[in-house]
Amino acid sequence: MSRDDDALVVCEQCGLPHRWLPVTGREIARCTRCDAVIGRGHRLSIGSVLALTIAAAAAWLVAMTAPLMSIDFRGGAEAATLPQAIVSAWRGGQQIVALVAALTALIAPAAFIGLRLYVLAPLALGHRPAGFAWCVRLLHQAGRWNMIEVFTVGVLLSLVRLAGFADASPGLGLFALGAVTFLFATIESAGLKHLWWHAA
Amino acid sequence: MSATQSASPDRVLLGCESCGLVSASALASNPLDGVDEAETRLQRCPRCGHALLFRKPFAVQRTWACVVAAAVLYVPANALPIMVTTNALQREEHTLLGGIHELWVDGSWGLSIIVFIASIAVPVLKIGVLGLLAWTVRYAPSWRRLERARLYRLIETVGHWSMLDVYVVVLLAATVRFGSLASVAVGPGLLAFASVVVLTLLATWAFDPKLIWRDDDHRVPATTLAET
Repeated sequence: MSRDDDALVVCEQCGLPHRWLPVTGREIARCTRCDAVIGRGHRLSIGSVLALTIAAAAAWLVAMTAPLMSIDFRGGAEAATLPQAIVSAWRGGQQIVALVAALTALIAPAAFIGLRLYVLAPLALGHRPAGFAWCVRLLHQAGRWNMIEVFTVGVLLSLVRLAGFADASPGLGLFALGAVTFLFATIESAGLKHLWWHAA
Repeated sequence: MSATQSASPDRVLLGCESCGLVSASALASNPLDGVDEAETRLQRCPRCGHALLFRKPFAVQRTWACVVAAAVLYVPANALPIMVTTNALQREEHTLLGGIHELWVDGSWGLSIIVFIASIAVPVLKIGVLGLLAWTVRYAPSWRRLERARLYRLIETVGHWSMLDVYVVVLLAATVRFGSLASVAVGPGLLAFASVVVLTLLATWAFDPKLIWRDDDHRVPATTLAET
C-alpha cells in the first residue's frame, strides 16, 4: 500500500488539512477538529476485494433470480423475486415507487458490483482501465444509492407479516441476499480513494 | 495525525472528493466570508479531473428546498394509506402508524419498534436535524460545532433505513395476489413516503458539513505547510 504522492489529507467533513501519517492494521485516524474518520489501516488488498466482488456478483445473480419468499394460501401459491416485485408495482400504477425501488435495490447494487469488476480486474493485473476516473466517481454515486441491506431487512419483515395469514417460507434468493449484504459491507469498508494509490 | 494550515490566508488546501489528492487553491475571495456565495473558481483535480470545490454550491438553499418539500410531503405520507388489503370479507386501509400499531397489538414488539424507528423516528430526525443545521449555519455559527458535526454524520449513516416500509409494501403487493380471496395493493401514501425518503437523502447530500466550521479556521493550532 503506497501513498507516497500524498503528504497531506484533508478531512472530508470539515475541510481541515492534516499531515498524513501511515495507519496500519485496525488503527483509525480521526480529524483533530471534527472527529470524523480520515483514514483507516487497510486490511484488504486489491486481490482480496476483487475476490469478494466476484463472490458478491455470483450471490447477487442468485438473489435477483431465485424467489425471495413463497407463500401458500388455500391451495394457491405465489413467489416473488425483486424484478417481479418492481414490475408488479409499475403495472399497479405506482411507477415512481417502482423506480425508487429499482434504483436503490437493483440498479445501484448492479453498478456497485459491475463497475468494481471492471476497475479491479485490470488493477489486479497492474494497469488502469479506460475511463477509470469516471468509473470511480460513478462508484461513489452507486455506493450512496445502494440500499441492499435495507432491502434484505425489508424481505425479512415481509415474511413475518405474511406468516400471520398464510404459509410463508423464505426462498433461496433470501439466503443469497443475506450473503450479498455481508459481502457488500466488507467490500465497502475497503473504500474507493485507495484505488488511486495503485499502479498508474 | 496533526493539523496543518496553509501558509497564507488567500490560499487553501482542497481535498479531492473522488481521489483524495490534496491541491493548493488560490481563492478569489476570502474563504471565511459568506455562506453560499460562489467563492470558488472552478479548478479540477490534477490527478483525476474531478471538480475541486471549496464548498458545495448553494448548499444551504438546496438543503432548505429539500427539507421543506420533505416536511410538506410528510403529511400525506402519514395521513394517506400506504397499503390497501382486500379479502373476502372486507377492504382495509393501512397507514404508516397503523401498520406499527398492528405489529404492536400482534405482540411483535421488537419488529414494531424497528419499523417505528425506520419509518417515523428517522425521517423526523432527518428533517429536524437538517433544518437545525441549515438554520445554525446562518444564525448561530459557533454554537456546539462538534455536536452539530456528529449529528450530521449520524443522519448520513442512518438516512437510508427509512426506505424499509417502501420495500415491505412493494414486496407484499407482489406476493399476495389471490384475487378476491386476498390481495394487497400499494396505497397512495407510499408515493408520498418514498418521496420524503428520497428528498431527505438529497437534502443530506446537498448540505455541506464544512459550513459548520465556517469562521473557526483561526482556532486551529497552526503549524505551517513548510513543516510537512
